[in-house]
Amino acid sequence: MTTPNKTPPGADPKQLERTGTVREIGSQAVWSLSSCKPGFGVDQLRDDNLETYWQSDGSQPHLVNIQFRKTTVKTLCIYADYKSDESYTPSKISVRVGNNFHNLQEIRQLELVEPSGWIHVPLTDNHKKPTRTFMIQIAVLANHQNGRDTHMRQIKIYTPVEESSIGKFPRCTTIDFMMYRSIR
Amino acid sequence: MKFPPKIPNRKTKSKTNKGGITQPNINDSLEITKLDSSIISEGKISTITPQIQAFNLQKAAAGLMSLLREMGKGYLALCSYNCKEAINILSHLPSHHYSTGWVLCQIGRAYFELSEYMQVSIENEVRRIENYRVEGMEIYSTTLWHLQKDVALSVLSKDLTDMDKNSPEAWCAAGNCFSLQREHDIAIKFFQRAIQVDPNYAYAYTLLGHEFVLTEELDKALACFRNAIRVNPRHYNAWYGLGMIYYKQENSALQKSLDINPQSSVLLGHIGVVQHALKKSEKALDTLNKAIVIDPKNPLCKFHRASVLFANEKYKSALQELEELKQIVPKESLVYFLIGKVYKKLGQTHLALMNFSWAMDLDPKGANNQIKEAIDKHYLPDDEEPITQEEQIMGTDESQESSMTDADDTQLHAAESSSRMVFASARWNNKRRCL
Repeated sequence: MTTPNKTPPGADPKQLERTGTVREIGSQAVWSLSSCKPGFGVDQLRDDNLETYWQSDGSQPHLVNIQFRKTTVKTLCIYADYKSDESYTPSKISVRVGNNFHNLQEIRQLELVEPSGWIHVPLTDNHKKPTRTFMIQIAVLANHQNGRDTHMRQIKIYTPVEESSIGKFPRCTTIDFMMYRSIR
Repeated sequence: MKFPPKIPNRKTKSKTNKGGITQPNINDSLEITKLDSSIISEGKISTITPQIQAFNLQKAAAGLMSLLREMGKGYLALCSYNCKEAINILSHLPSHHYSTGWVLCQIGRAYFELSEYMQVSIENEVRRIENYRVEGMEIYSTTLWHLQKDVALSVLSKDLTDMDKNSPEAWCAAGNCFSLQREHDIAIKFFQRAIQVDPNYAYAYTLLGHEFVLTEELDKALACFRNAIRVNPRHYNAWYGLGMIYYKQENSALQKSLDINPQSSVLLGHIGVVQHALKKSEKALDTLNKAIVIDPKNPLCKFHRASVLFANEKYKSALQELEELKQIVPKESLVYFLIGKVYKKLGQTHLALMNFSWAMDLDPKGANNQIKEAIDKHYLPDDEEPITQEEQIMGTDESQESSMTDADDTQLHAAESSSRMVFASARWNNKRRCL
């Protein structure tokens, strides 16, 4: 194999949301960055716009910290595009979770090769279940072509939707059942 | 239009009928009202003496009163949530009154309270007849939300917001539309707008509360439901919302909402499950029976009754219930899952497997979730014996792929362990606290 396989793009996370099985909770979290260029900060990272991006402005590793009350997180979705970002595209990302800054443990490390779309990162613990945590840190350890700073266009974080109605059965599938599931 | 009989006859007729309201009386009185107005419009006032005119007016007033009395009776029945009664009374109104916005809206609301969302054609009538009408449309929008008809709902909300930006109903409809698309933040924004437009509109608070529940912001939801109740203490929907939140927080307070609306089968279904969770299974069965008597078509009630029977080890009756349910809702994977569990308990593993695979067919993602959930619960490990038998049976069945058999394996194991899972609130609640 002469050229490594490129990372294939994943599905648009909006599709995930429409299934009703996950819910985006980034809006309930506090986001912070290790560094950023003025005008290219957290807002650009969370604005649902793939044209705007976060540009870091310091030394590696570049960090994105997401803090919330203890929640189950299932999937992390990152949008990265080699064609537009070239040497700013992250190539090695480490995802760490924990209670606070001093308590983080790496649970995932990804290698990206010329990504061109959404990357879905499932956040599962040793028992293959979604993790419950207070904080997630995404660390960019290296960029393509050994670039120093990184661009990240969009990050979304998803929690599984609990079957809120009564009983411990999995979700119902037909409208006939769902019609009677709740009073509204 | 027939000519009224001679006036002396009319006099005697109306005297005898003053006590009761009969259909012909209303019709005749209305005929007179119409005749009255038509005569006046034809400019024939000179031919009618003042006495006759006064008489006519009196008859017209009586007719009007009887009409209003009927409508009032219907409205009273609706407000006490005797919805079937209300529909009965209101459908007996003469047709030109029946086909008005107000009456059809009340009937639509009655069907809504009965959870018969399929009768949404009534609401369509309203839109057709009075397409400027905004009141009562919020019920229509919630009906469409239940039926998950997103196109119709978005059309409705666009129309309403275009028509009247200052009405809370329009913003409620818009909020429902986005909630159906699972854009909860936007839905919340619209419901807040509805509240801004009219702070005394209880339903907007309730809908906002439900949205907060969906985004898991339970304290804000509690505040909203309380606001709704402050505005309208008889808004059973808000009491239900409060009850559900407390149920999640491991208390139960659904009784109040049931007091206000004793006819809602959905509500009764919920209470049945809560009671079962609190180990009052007999009571739970009672409540669920009541619910089913009220609305025999509510599949979820039957499902919960079947699961209560299953938990109480009355497998034959549970099976019977589930067979009926299969007829009503043939495509629901949960039904097959429960049937599979019952067969597993009865030891008929072939049928159990069949039903489990049907269930997984109908909902592959649901099956994965339940495997994961069930494996999480550590229960008595005396399922090894039946499982090995399972493996033997499945080993001989070459037609299934290995991944499918593995999934079935784990699913059966999970089903076995979850079948031991009585709806014991203590254990379940403990688990929830530990998570």
